[in-house]
Amino acid sequence: MAEYADPDVLVSTEWVAEHHNDPAVRIVESNEDRALYTQGHVPGAVEIDWQVDLQDQVVRDYVDRKGFEEICRSNGITNDTTVIFYGDKNNWWACYAFWVFKLYGHPQCKIMNGGRKKWQLEDRSWSTDRASYAPTTYIAPEQDKSVRALREEVLKHQKAGKNLVDVRSPEEYSGERLHMPDYPNEGALRGGHIPGAVNIPWPLSVNEDGTFKTAKELEKLYCKTNHLKRRSPTIAYCRIGERSSLTWFVLKYLLGFGNVRNYDGSWMEWGNCVGVPIIKGSHPQSAPDTNTPTSSP
Amino acid sequence: METVNERLDQIVEEFVDLDGREKLELLLDFANRLPPLSDEYTAKKNTEDRRVHECQTSVFLWPEISNGSMNLVAEVAEEAPTVKGFVAILAEAVASRPQPEAQELPEDLLEKMGLADVLGMLRSRGLRAIVSRVRQELINAK
Repeated sequence: MAEYADPDVLVSTEWVAEHHNDPAVRIVESNEDRALYTQGHVPGAVEIDWQVDLQDQVVRDYVDRKGFEEICRSNGITNDTTVIFYGDKNNWWACYAFWVFKLYGHPQCKIMNGGRKKWQLEDRSWSTDRASYAPTTYIAPEQDKSVRALREEVLKHQKAGKNLVDVRSPEEYSGERLHMPDYPNEGALRGGHIPGAVNIPWPLSVNEDGTFKTAKELEKLYCKTNHLKRRSPTIAYCRIGERSSLTWFVLKYLLGFGNVRNYDGSWMEWGNCVGVPIIKGSHPQSAPDTNTPTSSP
Repeated sequence: METVNERLDQIVEEFVDLDGREKLELLLDFANRLPPLSDEYTAKKNTEDRRVHECQTSVFLWPEISNGSMNLVAEVAEEAPTVKGFVAILAEAVASRPQPEAQELPEDLLEKMGLADVLGMLRSRGLRAIVSRVRQELINAK
């Protein structure tokens, strides 16, 4: 596989620098650290926060259809706008925001390959002016269930022995720890992984400069080393659904998996559920406890 | 000289009436005021385990007590300006104050400043943990 399955889903920093004033394009920043946008962003970019804007603040869910329409409307996004996402942390949150836009069926979404990191490395200019655009009319369809997996569906999928990808660190996968190294524990009561899930930590998909690895490298990692099949339904999960959004993006658009969903409830839900199956240790199914083929990031 | 409590009240007052965007701008002002590590502490970074391991990105803390007065020396990664600003606020609040006043660092500081809603639940949880950690380190420091 010499080329990404859908190469148009990525744009370069150079392309963004040339199109930041293009009225058909809206650049959207989504970060782990909210103050970064205030500190400086790609000229013309708006901020859509994954936590405060895209999530409902009462129910543990995303904003509803009306709420999503309002986000688009107030950021000058029409149904025809090409939305370019980028952010910190190798575009985790950018992929998460991209995924929510796909959940609401937005047609033209792209990722700026390399995110903030590459923009910074190339010494491109930052703006501190908060961009604002004339409100639009935006009509969103109901959620597209084909990109999202809910708990009961994951349970069914797991029982049927279909592809499951756990993108967390090897220590979280084995149950040795409940959260990412260097991150606070966000409250899972049990550690381990969903039976049958292979562990492919997300950093293996990106380069030092924040860009995605080549199609050939990704194919080797997911399809050859870890034996995932493009035609088999696949679900990716992590701890709160953000790192797995990046893996979902890689599988669906860069490798062309036909049926891949993000389990956004992820370990923060599964590790707290009563009665769901969990495996401890570094083997997908159960003991013998041997190392999986992937290496740690 | 104001107590830790009085200083925090003043800082809260600065934040409380601002809108979300202005709050983040003020937080960045604090982040920019956190002094870079001196050569002495830069050298210590490599030899002492002062990294806050449960914290996101890289945060190094040195609670220092001299003649019963506190000082918090800290380094926070540039890519985490929210955390850096918050640590800078804690450092300004405790600077040169008597050690027992470390008890006055409140866990709900973020809520008082009105930042919890701007940052969301998950981020706020991490910052609350930093207040607990700083307070504990200052109380235990010798």
